[in-house]
Amino acid sequence: MNDYQYDNQTVKGFVVSSVFWGVVGIVIGLLISIQMWRPEFNFAPFFTFGRLRTVHTNSLAFGLGVGAIFGLSYYILMRLTKRPLLFPKLARIQLYLFNIGIAAAAVTLFMGMTQSLEYAELEWPLDIAIVILWVMFAVNVFGTIIKRKEEQMYISLWYIIATVIAVAVLYIINNLSIPVGPFKSYHLFAGVNSANVEWWYGHNAVGFVFTTPILAMFYYFLPKSTGIPIFSHRLSIISFWSLVFAYLWTGAHHLVYTPLPDWIQTLGIVFTIFLIAPSWGSVVNGYYTVGSDWDKMNTQYLTKFFIMGITFYGLQTVQGPTQGLRVVSQLIHYTDWVPGHVHMGTMGWVTMTTAASIYYVIPKIYHTEIYSIKVANIHFWLVLIGQLIFSITMWITGIQQGALWKAVNDDGSLKYSFVETLTKNYPFWQLRTVGGLIFTVGMLFFIYNIYMTIRRGSLAEAKA
Amino acid sequence: MAEDLDNIDAFEAKETSHKLPIGWLVLFWGLILWGVYYFVTYSPAISGWTQEKAYQESIKK
Ligand code: HEM
Ligand code: HEM
Repeated sequence: MNDYQYDNQTVKGFVVSSVFWGVVGIVIGLLISIQMWRPEFNFAPFFTFGRLRTVHTNSLAFGLGVGAIFGLSYYILMRLTKRPLLFPKLARIQLYLFNIGIAAAAVTLFMGMTQSLEYAELEWPLDIAIVILWVMFAVNVFGTIIKRKEEQMYISLWYIIATVIAVAVLYIINNLSIPVGPFKSYHLFAGVNSANVEWWYGHNAVGFVFTTPILAMFYYFLPKSTGIPIFSHRLSIISFWSLVFAYLWTGAHHLVYTPLPDWIQTLGIVFTIFLIAPSWGSVVNGYYTVGSDWDKMNTQYLTKFFIMGITFYGLQTVQGPTQGLRVVSQLIHYTDWVPGHVHMGTMGWVTMTTAASIYYVIPKIYHTEIYSIKVANIHFWLVLIGQLIFSITMWITGIQQGALWKAVNDDGSLKYSFVETLTKNYPFWQLRTVGGLIFTVGMLFFIYNIYMTIRRGSLAEAKA
Repeated sequence: MAEDLDNIDAFEAKETSHKLPIGWLVLFWGLILWGVYYFVTYSPAISGWTQEKAYQESIKK
């Protein structure tokens, strides 16, 4: 029993760290969104768009995302295997190393050090630290699963296992590079090969950081918070295996109409379109589960977070594959449409589902109730509205941008100069900042709610 | 305070645990078939289609 107490401390540590890095990343997101229409907001050299953009993506994907994944995976793992973590001390060291690593990452990015590979910007010494961190995670996940006390493995465990293996393989291979100094290295692969490996990695970062571990949370916390068991175990399992199989082939859809050989692009597109089916397997399963009692949408406040989250996941996994098609890619690639896609997924699916899981976990750890359901509801509506403004404005301006770029005069010359097409973005970029602000205020309500819950829980504990 | 351990039965519905919705199955197999069609049509080695040819085609008026 004491072991459990101890493990909960680590879970809590990861959750709080994750929220902290989330705040950093979101505030920087707001700043870079302003920089795009007010260049005066660039403060050289450390606070310019080029550097801050990488701090934004890294602190959100690796700080908010991976921090929550570590903490909540451990929470889920202990309960589904019916035992404490096999190496609780190791998990605690992992927590410290994680925070040191993210802080160091932010510092090097502010200093402008980068491998120039998106989502793999960190230089080689940090890569090594991250691999060590991941091995610590893997040892605890596999050790605890091997020594589990419940024989049957629920679907969430499969998704966690896939995350651990896939991220390890992807991260190590894409970061193979030749160091030329302590802070500088060159990718082992060159030219088209480099691009192909990078986007194989990049897309699967989406697949195995922003999808599989979030699905592990979804499948675990939806039944826990609603009290309704998942509709079909078979559907979960078939969706799982076909998802992990298909994902790894799809990276080439980021390189449509590039020098990458035509057949590789075509093969990538085939698997990309197929991905709709396994993705929607989880969506359908979620809907059918809550479908047995839709009243839960009103009576249990977390239900709507999960259902809205899985709905955006469903929209994202139709929009994403569509973007992979040549005819669509030639219109929207390189435009602001893509950040619209990105933030529907990251704000509407990842952050929504993670926040709901944290709402469930924190009161459980402190043996108390959530501070205020009303505040949670305000949080829900604000982040929803903020995200919709962000995505919709970017889709509109993205299509406009693509259409203007493609417009030609009779003699084949371009109708619009680049700057003309750029200035048309301004009103939409301004609106995006408004959407971002609303989203941020929503997240502040979330943090306040979690803070008050922790405070209440600690006070009660101190009294007891 | 003791932890509430999870009971696997609370996660998996019993009566419906083997169900696969028919619409979803149609989607699943339909997309596989579509994939075969698309791969054949857009592979230079099979159909002779290439990006370059398609581009030249598109600017010819
Ligand atoms: C207030 C909230 C947010 C604002 C204002 C914001 C703003 C931005 C901006 C301006 C960009 C650059 C777009 C460009 O280069 O054209 C960006 C990129 C990005 N953001 Fe955010 N963001 C927010 C929240 C988030 C969250 C919560 C996540 C992840 C959990 C996230 C993940 C990303 C990623 C992955 C990219 C790179 C997209 C790409 O390369 O296409 N953002 N964000
Ligand atoms: C079936 C699932 C999905 C598919 C097939 C897919 C497909 C795509 C495609 C084709 C692009 C490239 C757009 C372009 O540059 O022209 C893209 C970009 C992106 N998607 Fe998705 N998407 C999927 C789901 C998701 C999810 C769930 C997220 C989670 C947040 C996500 C996040 C991103 C990000 C961050 C990028 C920007 C990459 C960059 O920096 O350029 N996607 N996606």
